[in-house]
Amino acid sequence: MALFRKENTAMIDRYSWWEIVAIYAGIAAFLFFMLSPFIEGFLVSLKPLAQLFSSPYTFWPENGSFDAYFTMWDSVPGFGRYIFNSFLISTVATVIVLLLVVPAAYAFARFNYQGMGLVLGGFLAISMFSGAVLLIPLFRLMRTLGLLNTYFAMIVPGVAFLIPSAIWLLRTYMKRIPLELNEAAYMDGASQFYTFRRVILPIASPGIIVVAITTFIGAYAQQFVFALSFNSKTEYMPLPVGLFAYFGRQEVIWNELMAASFVGITPALIIIFFLQRYLVGGLTAGAVK
Amino acid sequence: MGQLSLKRVVKTFGSIEVVKGVDLDVQEGEFVVFVGPSGCGKSTLLRMIAGLEHTSAGDILINGERVNDLPPVKRGIAMVFQSYALYPHMSVFENIAFPLRVEKAPEDVLKRKVQAAADILHLENRLQQKPGQLSGGQRQRVAIGRAIVREPKIFLFDEPLSNLDAALRADMRIELTRLHKQLGATMIYVTHDQIEAMTMADRIVVLNFGNIAQVGAPLELYHRPENLFVAGFIGNPRMNILPATGVKSGPEGVTVDCLGQRLTVPVAPPRTGIEGAALSLGIRPEHIHLGDGRDLRLNLTPTVVEQLGQHTIGYATVEGMEPTFCFVLPGSRPVHDDRPLDVNFRARDCHLFDADGQALPRRPGVEDSD
Repeated sequence: MALFRKENTAMIDRYSWWEIVAIYAGIAAFLFFMLSPFIEGFLVSLKPLAQLFSSPYTFWPENGSFDAYFTMWDSVPGFGRYIFNSFLISTVATVIVLLLVVPAAYAFARFNYQGMGLVLGGFLAISMFSGAVLLIPLFRLMRTLGLLNTYFAMIVPGVAFLIPSAIWLLRTYMKRIPLELNEAAYMDGASQFYTFRRVILPIASPGIIVVAITTFIGAYAQQFVFALSFNSKTEYMPLPVGLFAYFGRQEVIWNELMAASFVGITPALIIIFFLQRYLVGGLTAGAVK
Repeated sequence: MGQLSLKRVVKTFGSIEVVKGVDLDVQEGEFVVFVGPSGCGKSTLLRMIAGLEHTSAGDILINGERVNDLPPVKRGIAMVFQSYALYPHMSVFENIAFPLRVEKAPEDVLKRKVQAAADILHLENRLQQKPGQLSGGQRQRVAIGRAIVREPKIFLFDEPLSNLDAALRADMRIELTRLHKQLGATMIYVTHDQIEAMTMADRIVVLNFGNIAQVGAPLELYHRPENLFVAGFIGNPRMNILPATGVKSGPEGVTVDCLGQRLTVPVAPPRTGIEGAALSLGIRPEHIHLGDGRDLRLNLTPTVVEQLGQHTIGYATVEGMEPTFCFVLPGSRPVHDDRPLDVNFRARDCHLFDADGQALPRRPGVEDSD
């Protein structure tokens, strides 16, 4: 329990026991609120289809099994392709966003030039647009560029929408890197690019990983609307659209749909867990003072 | 002309002039300390010499060559920052080696130079550690090591000890003085700590509002401050300044009336226009003695007494004087709060300043008996 670790004894000194209980109760309530759809979704994936339509509704599975996790592959042939597509689209979008955003955020963090506030404000304004509002102009643009029914139709608009928030996030992080590190490198004869590569990038890596994770999740989430609008080919369809295949004409195969959802997000979860290991705090410890 | 020359150097930020036409020559191998209160322009001046700040007007010359438009690396200068500015993701070895990596030095040369710097700075056993694992003093030594490997003509230090605790600061002061002797390099050092300035400097440059208030050897500044600012800034506790009125000027010095008593301060040469002139009489707290006698006597009631063992420091209110009058007596003395006592001082220990705050030069040799 983090609260009672040695380094957190100050919290115990600061709060009375009932305040600590209240804090934990708040955390528990928040966690329950956030996790309850996942818990119920998982339980549904374990229930036989018949139980799902029985009345009254039962929360806990009776004769629960992981059968749906096997049968889902037969119900929707090519489901693996949807997962692959989603993964591909999100990964490529994340890589492109990082390639563009990391140097841009550095420039915004370190250099002052006229109109910078306007540009940054513009980015913020763009990020406030809902993708759905721009669907028709985007559709025309994709058609003109000949990108309809390709992976790029889902990647390019996604990248455009993900860049502004990524720049803001990373710029804030990079601004916290002491300017003296740049000055020290400059004194030693390092070029801007050398300093960026050898000094700033390694120190900014936790911030870059945060941006990578949020971009990856963002790219995963926004595929649905772009895929439905700019793509009609099954072989390019991503997971969120693929899940619709479990909505039959007569019925929805709820347990398999839930199982497919969990299987679908597994690659993303694995990536996030992997990247989280590099989110070490205090990497700048010892840099200054 | 010295190794480093500043010619009417000016720095402005917008409409604010931070450095106002500074002239200075620094000789090769000298240890020069810039000292002054916050905002006096000392760090800005150092950054201009380093090449981190553009020079608005005037010339900076190193070995006779104008370097205003040269980047730092081409000026043959290395700088140690107040905040150390170590690269946290690199080992101590890589931090020290960084300038050599930039200039693509051969690996064997790089290793030899880093090892030599580590030997000088006693960092041999820390080379594989990261800055986060080091103490403040060790981090500062790594920052110095990074400067040493470049073998610069001039070292610049920007308040390098201000983040260390008092004990470590004293140790590092001695180490830096030793390093200066060992390397024989020119060093320019910025601090607001006058003890650092007095103990380390060959010459001190006192800055005030972007101007040089005085340049001189530490004891010269202590014994012969040229103006009220330097008199107040050098010396701790600061010099007492009492209001005085000129009576006459003669071969023995200037006679003044101070707190209703007359004394003749040995300043030279004789001056005209002294009679009735408003002057300031300066006396350092450590030149005040217990008891009556000598040239000027005061009956004081100290409001605060600090017994430090080594000294006894007392603070009292004297009419017409702001802030309080301070005296420092050697050892532990029977002085108590709110109990009146007699103190006195000699005229030859006094300093005189005119209405513009400029010192009336003391007669040569007076400091020998301070």
